[in-house]
This record gives sequence, structure tokens and C-alpha cells, in this order.
Amino acid sequence: METWSVRCAFIVTMVLLSITRAAVGIRFVIDREECFSHNVQYEGDTLHVSFVVIKAEGLWHYGDDGVDLVIKGPAGEQIHDFRDKTSEKHEFVVHAKGLYRFCFTNKSPYHETIDFDVHVGHFAYYDQHAKDEHFTPLLEQIAKLEEALYNIQFEQHWLEAQTDRQAIVNDGMSQRAIHKAMIESVALIGASVLQVYLLQRLFERKLGTSRV
Amino acid sequence: MGKRGMMVVMALLMVCLTSNLIQKGDAIWLSLPAKSGTKCVSEEIQNNVVVLSDYVVVSEDHSYIPTISVKVTSPYGNNLHHNENVTHGQFAFTTNEAGNYLACFWADGHNQGGGDVSVNLDWRTGIAAKDWESVARKEKIEGVELELRKLEGAVEAIHENLLYLKSREAEMRTVSEKTNARVAWFSILSLGVCITVSALQLWYLKRFFQKKKLI
Repeated sequence: METWSVRCAFIVTMVLLSITRAAVGIRFVIDREECFSHNVQYEGDTLHVSFVVIKAEGLWHYGDDGVDLVIKGPAGEQIHDFRDKTSEKHEFVVHAKGLYRFCFTNKSPYHETIDFDVHVGHFAYYDQHAKDEHFTPLLEQIAKLEEALYNIQFEQHWLEAQTDRQAIVNDGMSQRAIHKAMIESVALIGASVLQVYLLQRLFERKLGTSRV
Repeated sequence: MGKRGMMVVMALLMVCLTSNLIQKGDAIWLSLPAKSGTKCVSEEIQNNVVVLSDYVVVSEDHSYIPTISVKVTSPYGNNLHHNENVTHGQFAFTTNEAGNYLACFWADGHNQGGGDVSVNLDWRTGIAAKDWESVARKEKIEGVELELRKLEGAVEAIHENLLYLKSREAEMRTVSEKTNARVAWFSILSLGVCITVSALQLWYLKRFFQKKKLI
């Protein structure tokens, strides 16, 4: 009886200790360069990172050039490098625990709004299972399920950011269609008035000199 | 259950509780420039969502910890949290409006040294901000049942998110179709203006030349 309750408490502890969820989803405005750091506590975790450039506050609110992202590990080694991307999703296995740095660089002259998300998936059962064969398979499956659900939430956040970007592009396109038609009409009317005026002046001058 | 068993359970529970506290240490670090910079982070949040956040200034030099100021505003400009000259703090609120919530940090002017200040920001919204310990205590559930409850919460959050994405997609579809119709009608309008204006030109010039007895 005593060993059962101790074992139960131990299992509950391991469950609560091992299901770690760390995710962050923030939006920020980047000027030239912006760096973020994230602390990874366990080796062997998978680190998922995603970013989407929501809008570029340029002249026509249109920016097709993206940003650069450099991922550096705790010892300063470069893990990955993205150049000129407007949206990207990446994952890698963490080999060293510590502080990971994510540095964004904006090459265009305008401010850009970026949505950035980092998610560390931790699954401690891999080493625990080898040690303790009496481990409840149920809890292990629950942990796997939880990990899968957090991955889905990470993907959804990225999808949401992409949708926001598309919504801004769509609204811009709609406005631009109307502006283009209006400006075109005004330009046509202006050009024809100018034509008529110039022809009138030409013939009046010609008539004036020849008739006299 | 003997005394030794009790002690083991208590020790494990203590480890349990402290490990949940350590869990909250996973957050993102911002670096504020020493002079002017204000760093702002924002998030699009729906109505009626719990937001929980805490921030700590991180410094390698333990003798001096620089101070920062924080300001959190709602989409309509209401001030939700404002703190000056602090090294750590936290705020929590439930959103009343859907929109862009902004949290701005800046390093105070009277900090010695010119170094950048690093802030550890832990920002949780919705299901991540839920206090499962109090739910476990209130409803007296633990272990497998608590984990399954957490999963149920996560799945509901995913479902709600999906419905929101669906409605956004429907909105975008109507905008796209409107844009399509607009491009068609306004191009015809442009063409019509062109033809009308050239007809007017012809009529006017003909009248002009007839008046000047050239035709």
C-alpha cells in the first residue's frame, strides 16, 4: 500500500515535471535590427520558430522584400540563416541548453511589423521510459497528445499571422483598384483638354499670321 | 502509510510545486537600448480573453539592477497597466475589446553605464494563462484527470481559433470578390470616360474649324 502511493506520487510528479510548454507569440515593429533571446532548458528538445511579416509601412503599404533572421546558439554558433523571407517556419533539435538568440535585420527603408513565434517541445518520457518499465503507458500517450496539440497551436498561430498579412494585402488591393480608375479618368480628361487647348492655339496662331 | 512514506510524498509534492514555478521561466528576452529606445510588443487578442504577463529585468551584474518602465494599452487607448522605475512586475487583465494590445518597455534615463538592458518577458494569453492548480484544487482532481482536462482546454482553444480563422477567410473572400467586381466596373468606367472625352474633342474641334471657315 505504501509503495503504491509513493509510486503514484512519483508518477504524478514526473508527469507534471515532464510536460513543459513554452511558447511565445508576439508582434513587434522592426526598424533596422531587433534581437530576441530565448532560454532552452533541456537538450534534445525540438525548437519550432516561425515569423511572418504582417505589413510594411512603405509608400503604398506594399513590401515584397522580407527580413533576415539569424539563429545563434548559446555558444554563439550560427544555427540557421534566412535571407529576405516574408514568412518562414523552421524547427531544429536543440543540442546545447542555454540562451538562443534570434536576430532580425530589416533591409528596406520602411518599418515592418513582424509576428514572431517560438515554441519548445519537451518530451521527457524518452529517457524515463528506459529506466522504469512499470511506467503507465497511458500517461506517456497523454504526454504525446499534449505535445501534438501544442504543435497544432503553434501552426495555427502562424496561419493566423499569414491570414492577417493577406487581409492587409487584399484591403490594399481593393483601395488601389478604385484609386487607379479615378486617377486614370482624371488623367484622360486632363490630357484631352490639353490637346484641345494646344490645337486651338496652334490654329489660331497659324490663321492669325496667314490671314493678315 | 508510514511516516517515511508521508515524508517522501511531501518532498515530491514540494518538488512538484517548485517545478511548476520553474516552468514559468520559459519566456522571451528583449533587449532595451540604454538611451532612447522604447521597445513595444503587441498581440491581436479577441474579446473576453485572460492575459497574464510578468517581466523581470535580467542583469549579469548582481550588484546593480537597472530599472525600466512599462505601459500596457488597449486598442482604444485605455491604459491598462503603468509602472515606472521597477525591476520586476506583473499584470493580468481580461480583454473587453478585440484588437491590438500593446505593451511598451523603456529603460529609465537615470541608469548608470551605457549597456543594454535585458528584460525577460513572459506573455501568456487564453488557455496558456489558465491557472490549472486552482482548478485542480477547486474540483479536487489530479493526475490523469487533470492532464486530460488540460488537453480538453487546449482542444477547445484550437477549435475556437479555427472558427476565427474560418470567419477571417470568409471576410477576405468577400473583399476579394468585391475587388474583382470593382476592377471590372471601374475599367469599363475608365474606358467610357476615354471614349466620351475623345468624342467631345472631335465635336469641339469640328465646331472650331467650321467657325474658322477651314472645313
